[in-house]
Amino acid sequence: MYLGLKEMRHEKLRYTLLSGVLLLIALVVFMLAGLANGLSNGNRQAIDQWQATDVYLNKAANKTLSASQLKLADKKYISGTKVAPLASLSGTLRTTANHKKTTVSALATSRQSFIMPKVTHGHAINGKDQVIISAALKADGFKIGQKVRIGTTNHAVKIVGTYADSTYEISPTVYTDIATMNRLKAAPVTSGNQQTIGGFVTKNGHFKTSKHGDLQHLSIATFIEKLPGYSAEQMTLNTMIYFLFVIALAIIGIFMFVLTLQKQPLFGVLKVQGIGTKHILAALLTQSIAMAVIGIVLGLGITVGLAQIMPAGLPFVVNWGQFGLYSLALLAAAVIGALLSWRTVANIDPAVAIG
Amino acid sequence: MSTPVLALQHITKQFGHGHTAVTALTDANFEVLPGQFVAIIGPSGSGKSTFLTIAAGLQTPTSGQVLLNGTELAAQSEKARLAYRFNEIGFILQSSNLIPFLTVTEQLKLVDKMAKRRFQAERAQQLLSELALSEVATAYPNELSGGERQRVAIVRALYNDPSVILADEPTASLDTPRSIDVVDRLANEAHQHQKAIVMVTHDQRLIGNCDVVYRIEDGVMTRQ
Ligand SMILES: Nc1ncnc2c1ncn2[C@@H]1O[C@H](COP(=O)(O)OP(=O)(O)OP(=O)(O)O)[C@@H](O)[C@H]1O
Ligand SMILES: [Mg+2]
Repeated sequence: MYLGLKEMRHEKLRYTLLSGVLLLIALVVFMLAGLANGLSNGNRQAIDQWQATDVYLNKAANKTLSASQLKLADKKYISGTKVAPLASLSGTLRTTANHKKTTVSALATSRQSFIMPKVTHGHAINGKDQVIISAALKADGFKIGQKVRIGTTNHAVKIVGTYADSTYEISPTVYTDIATMNRLKAAPVTSGNQQTIGGFVTKNGHFKTSKHGDLQHLSIATFIEKLPGYSAEQMTLNTMIYFLFVIALAIIGIFMFVLTLQKQPLFGVLKVQGIGTKHILAALLTQSIAMAVIGIVLGLGITVGLAQIMPAGLPFVVNWGQFGLYSLALLAAAVIGALLSWRTVANIDPAVAIG
Repeated sequence: MSTPVLALQHITKQFGHGHTAVTALTDANFEVLPGQFVAIIGPSGSGKSTFLTIAAGLQTPTSGQVLLNGTELAAQSEKARLAYRFNEIGFILQSSNLIPFLTVTEQLKLVDKMAKRRFQAERAQQLLSELALSEVATAYPNELSGGERQRVAIVRALYNDPSVILADEPTASLDTPRSIDVVDRLANEAHQHQKAIVMVTHDQRLIGNCDVVYRIEDGVMTRQ
């Protein structure tokens, strides 16, 4: 401890530079993690808000909502604490005057369903051809009372309320009821039990019997994983993060090893004086932990600072639990990196210092 | 008659095997009493450093015994030998004794840190002034003259209050007046503080103050 810190104080430049390298690595780790979280959140925020446990889709749909077709009547196969129908339509939200346009994920469920968002302004859907929109869409110029179209049909609907920010597959959401959704899609059936939907969302759902038509059960986790592009994105970013841990380990390991080789005569002198391998390793550990802590703390600070000034379009989410975990991983890389020099230190023969 | 602090009995040290074997020491016998300043003098390659490393437990002899305060060193574990070096032996090397990134005072603080005790400020001050180093207490080794560095090495060796100090050519990098100064101070420490001090040298002029002189030639040690 004493030896390690005193050396760092005396060799400021050398250790500042390495702390700087670790800072950069930590910064990239946290930035990538924040972006991965942002992307993940953009894909699944609406799903997380449902607080559901299961999804049921058509087994031919390859676990993708947009490809799944069921009938409202298929509800008869499922029971659960809560069961809600779900339909989706990805398309352009535009005012009837065509002044404002933006891509949205339109989701439909029954008006009283547990996944229908709580309205914070305006009122809940209580009549034909009404929609409520994510508050984030206000920034795009959409507001309560406007007549809008969604997708390619000419069917006009009215915005009656807004709710807390919500996104699905990276686009802000719009919610409506099943019948309105079917009119938006120009479906042949727009009322009653034979209406087309995409699937069902449940809390603690299960099939009533082993006979369940074309339905397939998915856990909510599987459903999220199968969102188009979701797994690939997350895997790419996470792989980069894991590689950075290895790079951090390699940098500390190599740096400490080179320094150890350089300082062999000094370590020989220490051993002559009865200061053994244990103390020398403790000094190396102190140094790499100190550098890692400096790098991590500054990296976190800069990341949080950058998150404040990032453009709103860039999805970025700070997750403290995860950042803490990644900090520990970087710290572990520093400890292992320093321990890689253990054999070299242990093998230094004090007799050579005497010559 | 007091007992020897350090005694080496019938020490032989061979490097290598068969016809390439080098015998660095042959049946060497040696002892030093508290308060004695002993010199070992001999030409280059005669086995002086080999002798010191064996005395310090840094190398094991091929045969023979090293007794420190009556206990045999070879019977001890590596860990015990490390503790022995730390507690009982002060080593002064030819050069580069000091840790480059510690000030003079910090070199001494390190000893206390390793021994897990508080810094003995008074003892440090007293030793530094005895060796005329008070002025440079906060300097780093590279800011000191060669003579000052060797004197710091002496203070460092004495500071832990070892039973014996082993000095391997402590004056090798110094000119004659400075060498004589350093050796005088060593002699003074031995006599004043009842320390056993063993100094290796090849310089005949430096052994005037010594109580006992051993001569070593081709690994054969004789007491004068
Ligand atoms: N590790 C070793 N392996 C092989 N031979 C060695 C080793 N160490 C020392 N020797 C040999 O033992 C002999 C004595 O060496 P030592 O270093 O003790 O001499 P020295 O008296 O200290 O010489 P100098 O005054 O030059 O320092 C030399 O012939 C040397 O080559
Ligand atoms: Mg020598």
